[in-house]
Amino acid sequence: MRAATFQGKGDIDVRQMPDPAIVNPRDCIIEVTSTAICGSDLHLYDGVIPGVAKDDILGHEFMGRVVATGKESTLEVGQRVVVPFTIFCGQCFHCSEQRYSNCDNSCPVEDQEVAEKAFGHPMAGMFGYSHLTGGFAGGQAEYVRIPYSDVVPLVVPEDIPDERLLFLSDILPTGWMAALNAEIAPGDTIAVWGCGPVGLFAILSAFQQKAGRVIAIDGVKGRLDMAEQLGAEPVNFHETDILDALKQMTGGVGPDAVIDAVGMEAHGFAIDNIADRIKQTVGIGQDRAHVLRQAIMACRKGGRVSVPGVYGGKADLFPLGALMQKGLQLRTGQTHVRRFTAELLDLIERDVIDPSFLISHRLPLDEAATGYRNFRDHQDEWIKVVMHP
Amino acid sequence: MTIANWARYGLAATLATAAGGVLIYRRKPGINHDAAPARSARHRRRFGDYRVTGATVTIRATPEQIRACWQGNAQLWSALEYLPFPEGNQPDLLLPPSELRDMASRPLLTRIVAEREDELIAWRSEGEGHADMHGRLRFRDNGSKGTAVEVIMAVRPQHFASAWKTEAMMAEALKLGLLRDLRRMKMLIETGEIATARMRPDAA
Ligand SMILES: NC(=O)c1ccc[n+]([C@@H]2O[C@H](COP(=O)([O-])OP(=O)(O)OC[C@H]3O[C@@H](n4cnc5c(N)ncnc54)[C@H](O)[C@@H]3O)[C@@H](O)[C@H]2O)c1
Ligand SMILES: [Zn+2]
Ligand SMILES: [Zn+2]
Repeated sequence: MRAATFQGKGDIDVRQMPDPAIVNPRDCIIEVTSTAICGSDLHLYDGVIPGVAKDDILGHEFMGRVVATGKESTLEVGQRVVVPFTIFCGQCFHCSEQRYSNCDNSCPVEDQEVAEKAFGHPMAGMFGYSHLTGGFAGGQAEYVRIPYSDVVPLVVPEDIPDERLLFLSDILPTGWMAALNAEIAPGDTIAVWGCGPVGLFAILSAFQQKAGRVIAIDGVKGRLDMAEQLGAEPVNFHETDILDALKQMTGGVGPDAVIDAVGMEAHGFAIDNIADRIKQTVGIGQDRAHVLRQAIMACRKGGRVSVPGVYGGKADLFPLGALMQKGLQLRTGQTHVRRFTAELLDLIERDVIDPSFLISHRLPLDEAATGYRNFRDHQDEWIKVVMHP
Repeated sequence: MTIANWARYGLAATLATAAGGVLIYRRKPGINHDAAPARSARHRRRFGDYRVTGATVTIRATPEQIRACWQGNAQLWSALEYLPFPEGNQPDLLLPPSELRDMASRPLLTRIVAEREDELIAWRSEGEGHADMHGRLRFRDNGSKGTAVEVIMAVRPQHFASAWKTEAMMAEALKLGLLRDLRRMKMLIETGEIATARMRPDAA
């Protein structure tokens, strides 16, 4: 089969790879019909996430049709499924509490130790995302092996096009969980950093969850325009002092909750961010936590800090004092995708939301390299790339 | 006191306390080598001449189910690296899996020496000229999270470390290997399979 593979920092190549086959009894194999590039893939592309090897198959946002099943799979050949990016067993303690991205069992034992060293505990398995999360082959490919296929994939109706369903695999539930983690009370003011796909879905979700106002922060005009179309009040960090603006827009109170939908590769020329960038470039494991710092400083006293943005290392100058002294609550994590998919599918089926508005580019899988490059370098127009094998 | 002074005195005080601690520890009365080390040496890295190491996981299953898996699941046996497992015909005789066998510089003959229903299984090696090893599996109720399974192994380093560069490396490999083995057991019991990212059954 053909698959988008990692060949080194900034180097994606579509290559011929072996077809996957059933390995464990609960597996199934799907033929991918649509797959997307995520902001998280850019962290791999930029080489800031450790544990990615040459020839690893990327991609964790995908859907398709079942073409083979293991003897314990409950799926049938021909069924149409969306596959959550977090792989989970459904039976461990964490899965029993629907904390699927904390699954104890889905990461192969040999790959658990690196994450355990870095984070204190091993991670769950994820598709196409570094050996910290198991080194599972990803979905930017013609076929994918899906472990625990009796619990992981979401069977979807035939009459809704791929483009409206695909984002159930990651970014729509991620935006949704980000808003849930912000514990929005009706009428609250929420500030969202980052108007990429995750930020835009967090804005949409915040309004669904009854936010009164959403303030959207980014430096890319095209993305701020999309946030505004969703009803948010845009603020451009290149033109405005963010902390001042947020104080002023909230009558000196600060937002009730803040959402960092940017993560470890914040842009901008703030002094802390320039220092972080240097450290990240020389590879001393530094996250560029500029946005998280700013969000914590901006959040009102007693407010909530929700962090869907991905971090993988350590951060200097973390405003621990502000977090503590203002009595903030911090909630974060890889998304427990499958916990939210039924509810979100229902919203899609009832036409309450149509996530396909995000898609700016459609490409054949063979042009994955172009997709990655432009998604990173031309963020104004390249909002979300969907590929077809 | 300036911060620099405080840091200096603070550091000196810490070092003095640590040194005192070591002296007190050193002066402890002799250790009874016959007390089965793997049973009493919890949380210690050494017990007399023995090097002690171990690992713990919690499994969502009863002690009975966990024991049944360890005693009867051939898929587990073929996946184990360091945790000895019962030989089919003689249940009190334990077989060392491949990595443990390779690590020992002498043959290993290991028998179960103590069993407490749903709580403890202890074993030790037998026979002159065999590598000296004690071990135990202990089950403890861990509330809604399941049963905590702890494995402790105590080995006499000179019988194990020889093929290895240092005793510390041997202990580290054993510790890591036991944790991996317990995790494989957990996967098999909780999910019915051992997680793998392989794309094909025949792939490396
Ligand atoms: N928690 C999860 O499970 C999960 C899932 C998917 C994605 N993510 C993470 O969410 C983050 C966003 O993903 P995405 O797909 O939207 O990525 P993206 O790269 O498309 O979007 C990031 C946006 O942040 C903006 N930005 C950069 N610096 C900023 C700053 N200083 N202030 C305000 N905005 C700034 C960029 O201009 C861009 O529009 C990434 O870190 C991604 O890894 C997390
Ligand atoms: Zn993603
Ligand atoms: Zn699980």
